[in-house]
This record gives sequence, C-alpha cells and structure tokens, in this order.
Amino acid sequence: MKTLILGLGNPILSDDGVGNRVAQVLEDKLAQREDITVNETSLSGLSLIDLLAGYDKAIIVDAIQTAEGKTGQLYRLNPDAFNNTRHVSSPHDVNFATALELGSKLGIAMPKQIIIYAIEVDDVSTFGEEFTPRVKQAIPQCVERIIKELNGNH
Amino acid sequence: MASCKATDAVYHVELPPAGKKLRELFYCSHMVHSHIACFYALAAPDFVMGPTSDPAQRNILGVISKVGLQVGGEVIKHRAYAQSIQAAIAGKATHPVGGVPGGMSKPITEEQRKDFETKAKSCVEFSKFSLKLFNDVVLSNKDYLNIITGNVYTMKSYYMGLVDSNNKVNFYDGDIRVVDPEGKEVAKFKPSQYLEYIAEHTEPWSYLKFPFLKKVGWKGFTEGKDSGVYRVSPLARLNAADGMATPLAQAEYDKMYKTLGGKPVHATLAFHWARLVELLYASERLLELCQDKEITDPKVRTVPTATPDEGVGIVEAPRGTLIHHYQTDNNGIVTKANLIVATAHNYPAMQMSIKKAAQGLIKKGTAASEGLLNMVEMAFRAYDPCMACATHTLPGQMPLEVVIYDSKGEVKEKLGQNLAGA
Repeated sequence: MKTLILGLGNPILSDDGVGNRVAQVLEDKLAQREDITVNETSLSGLSLIDLLAGYDKAIIVDAIQTAEGKTGQLYRLNPDAFNNTRHVSSPHDVNFATALELGSKLGIAMPKQIIIYAIEVDDVSTFGEEFTPRVKQAIPQCVERIIKELNGNH
Repeated sequence: MASCKATDAVYHVELPPAGKKLRELFYCSHMVHSHIACFYALAAPDFVMGPTSDPAQRNILGVISKVGLQVGGEVIKHRAYAQSIQAAIAGKATHPVGGVPGGMSKPITEEQRKDFETKAKSCVEFSKFSLKLFNDVVLSNKDYLNIITGNVYTMKSYYMGLVDSNNKVNFYDGDIRVVDPEGKEVAKFKPSQYLEYIAEHTEPWSYLKFPFLKKVGWKGFTEGKDSGVYRVSPLARLNAADGMATPLAQAEYDKMYKTLGGKPVHATLAFHWARLVELLYASERLLELCQDKEITDPKVRTVPTATPDEGVGIVEAPRGTLIHHYQTDNNGIVTKANLIVATAHNYPAMQMSIKKAAQGLIKKGTAASEGLLNMVEMAFRAYDPCMACATHTLPGQMPLEVVIYDSKGEVKEKLGQNLAGA
C-alpha cells in the first residue's frame, strides 16, 4: 500500500508551518520505509488533487484554529469534517472538500483513506521559523501518533 | 517573474535570447494554468449554473456535472500540463526557483522541448474548446449577455497593460501603455519610469493603498476621464493594446469587441471573456516558443558583473500589471522595496464596482437574497483579486474593526481583532 504523508503550511509564518515541520521530522524517521512518501507543500485547492493522486492512503498534517481550541491540542479528523465550508477559502481556488470530491468524480486515483492530523495553533501572522511553546511541544506528540497510526495503532 | 526582472535591472544585465525566451515560455505556462483555474473554478459557476442558483451547486462540481465529467478531466489535465512545464524548468510550479539575475538557472533539453510542445498543442485545442463553451453557454444566453453588458457591472475607467513593439499584448516584457475611457493612448512608458505615471492615495480605513494616474490626479472614487482611477486585468490589457500577437487569439479578440460594441469595453464581467482570449494567446505563444530553434540553446544566463544598485521589473500577472522596484547596497542586499500588485491597481475600481452592483441590485424594502448577494460578489470576483498579495503590515498583527450599522445609522455590532486596549 502506497502511503503519502503531506505537511501543509507556510514554513516562514510561525505556527502555520507546524505541518511542514512534522513532515520534516517524519521524513527522517521513515527514510527506510519504501511504501511511504513524505512531502510538504504550501499549496492548496486544486493542486492538492495532483499531490494526492496515486496514493492508497494519505495522512495530511496541518495547523488549525478553532473557536474553543487550546493551543497545542492535537486532532485526528477525516475529510467529512470539512464538508460544511460552503465558501471558497481563497478567491483563487476551490476549498479542500471540493478538491477531494472533484478528484474522485473525475475518476482520478485519489487515496481511499485520508486522515488529517491538525494541531491547534496560536500565532499564524508573525514572520518567523519558530513556533510558540505549546505548538513546539505538540510536534513530537503528533509525530508519535502518526507513527503509531502507520503501525496500525492510533 | 517581476522580481527576476527587477533583479536583472538591479544588476544592469541583459539576458541572452534563450534565457529571455525560456522565461517567457515558463510565464505563458503560468498564465495557462491560472486562467484555466480562474475561469472553470471561479467564474464558470456563476454562468453555467446561473448567478442565483443554489450555492451548494454553484461551484466547479456543479459545472462539471452540467457540462460533463470529460470536460472536468480536461480542466485538470491541462492545468497539470502547464504546471508540469513550469516545474520542469524551475523546480516547482508554485514558488519556482529557476530565475536568477541575468537569466535562468538551467537550459531545457531537446527531450523536454518535445514534451512541452506536445502539451502546448493540447493547450491550444483546450483553449479553443473553452472559448466555444463560453460561446455556447454564456453568449448564446441573452439574459447572461444582458447581465454582462448591463449598467450595474459597467465602469468607465482608464486601462493599463504591457504591450510589445507592435502594441500587441505581451505578458512578459514591453512598455506600459495606458488608454483613456475612450480608448485613446494617453501614456506609454518604460518600467523604470513608473513613478512618473503612478501615485498612491491612502485612506485611514484600509491597509491597501489606492493607486491612480498621477497626471490625471486622485479625484475620489469616481468614474470617467477626469478621474485618475484606472484598471488592470485581462480586459484592461486587451483595451490597452491594439490586438493579440497570435492569429487565433486575434480572431477571438476581434469577435469580442464586435459583440460588445467596439473598443474599449467597460463591462467588468467581460474580464472573464478577455481571460479566455488570453488563455488562447498564452497557449499559442507557448507553442511558438516550444518550436523556437533557440529555445534549447544552453546559454540561458549572462552572469552579472556590474555593481548592483536599483531596478524596476514589470510583468503582467494573470490578474494585471505587477511592479517590483528594489534598491540595494553594493552587495545586492535590498535596502528598499516597493511593490504594486494587480489587486492594488484595481482597488479603487473594485470599491466602485461593488458599490455600483450593490446599489443597482439591492432595492429598498426587498430582502437581499443569497442569489442577489452573489450577484454583488460577481463584481468583486471578476477582478480575480488577491487581497493577501495586496495588503501588507509589519510585524503582521493587523488591527481591524468592522462596524455594522442598521438603516437608521445606529451601530448594531462591532467586530474586531488586535485592537489597542482590546
């Protein structure tokens, strides 16, 4: 089974780059696993179809901000959680749920299983490559959870 | 690409022909994928599904269920074709790393050229199909044509765009030409002269500046020849030029102006039609460059030798003219930078277009339905805007307050972030 781990975010916008950092850590730890590809990107929308195509399973890692969330909190979500985003998230592109549905409708080989690991973040507007303390602490926890998931245990 | 050209100017370096052509080839690919996404994902839902249709259906999924899954597949395929050409030349399609002062980091091989040529031919056919689809779905529907040409979405302004030595549209290089609301040329200048022609007005309520034509002056948010408000965009480029440099796009250019009553066209929703004319031009030009004998020449860079100081680079971004201006120290470290992006040029006009649409569409005593509000949004969407590119604040924490008033002028709600004392 071909698995993709995809870190999403802007790596120079503080906590927004946490998905990229988790992917970087996992790339080192999983270097021996030929069935796993680790990638990171700052792209979204239709570009995600191209990135996800051809894999059986995908684990996406991203930053998230929720109304009641505590910084550093880790969530394990599936794509259905994003179905209710009615408006496009960018005036240039389609949202995540639309991209996934479009890929499937067009018969593109999209992953049969997509898991999203999201880390509740605090600062996504200061330029920098450092994370706020609680987000920094969450990185090894997230890495560990994903490795467990890959071993059939989550 | 504007930053590449600005650094060429900073280092006073001229590109070898193959370097310049390779950049233009790369850039035409960029235009192809951006215009495809903008039209099919963002513009088409309003026309294919209808401007007041159910929002759950008014998206690219609704579009492909109506025009056919095969079309959807072609959209994704050609977008990916264009991006694969960019990635092959410059490492990545988005955030590419191929441009260096004086040219490109590496040439392309004959094998790559053949691959690009095949993809470019396919893009030409897909562009022709897209214009046919626009013709069948939008132009043959009298109601849609009336919406496009109606007063609610019309704004008389100046227009700006890059032109080649024959005054034809060019995305990568040339002079900046400005025409007035009657289509008469009022300015034509080199990138380095831009500050003589463009100034920026500020308002206390916005992080984004309001550029205007310096020689006409800022007269507020008003239309017409006496106002310095100008527009950039696919339609602005077509209005500011005398035509397209490729034959199929020229024929579509003629058809558009014939249908809409001659030049210039002031209909904001015609931006979408102009975008498709440009998609065809970008594809044809991409193919021309793929078939150019010089394109695989290994000399794609002139290594700079001059001391860097200052330079301006201008290209046409998909949504309009993009200006980068840098000043550096003797080591090439940037000490001052000024960027005017397409969305900034269009910001005064966007305010006016949205207001005009809202005032024309929302009637007193009538509930503003979701469909009606979408029709106001259409005035905004036509500009394919990028507010994130256009607004800047350091260190990044953006204080913002939104105050909602009722019809009697009383404050109903205040929303804010990062406000002092909050």
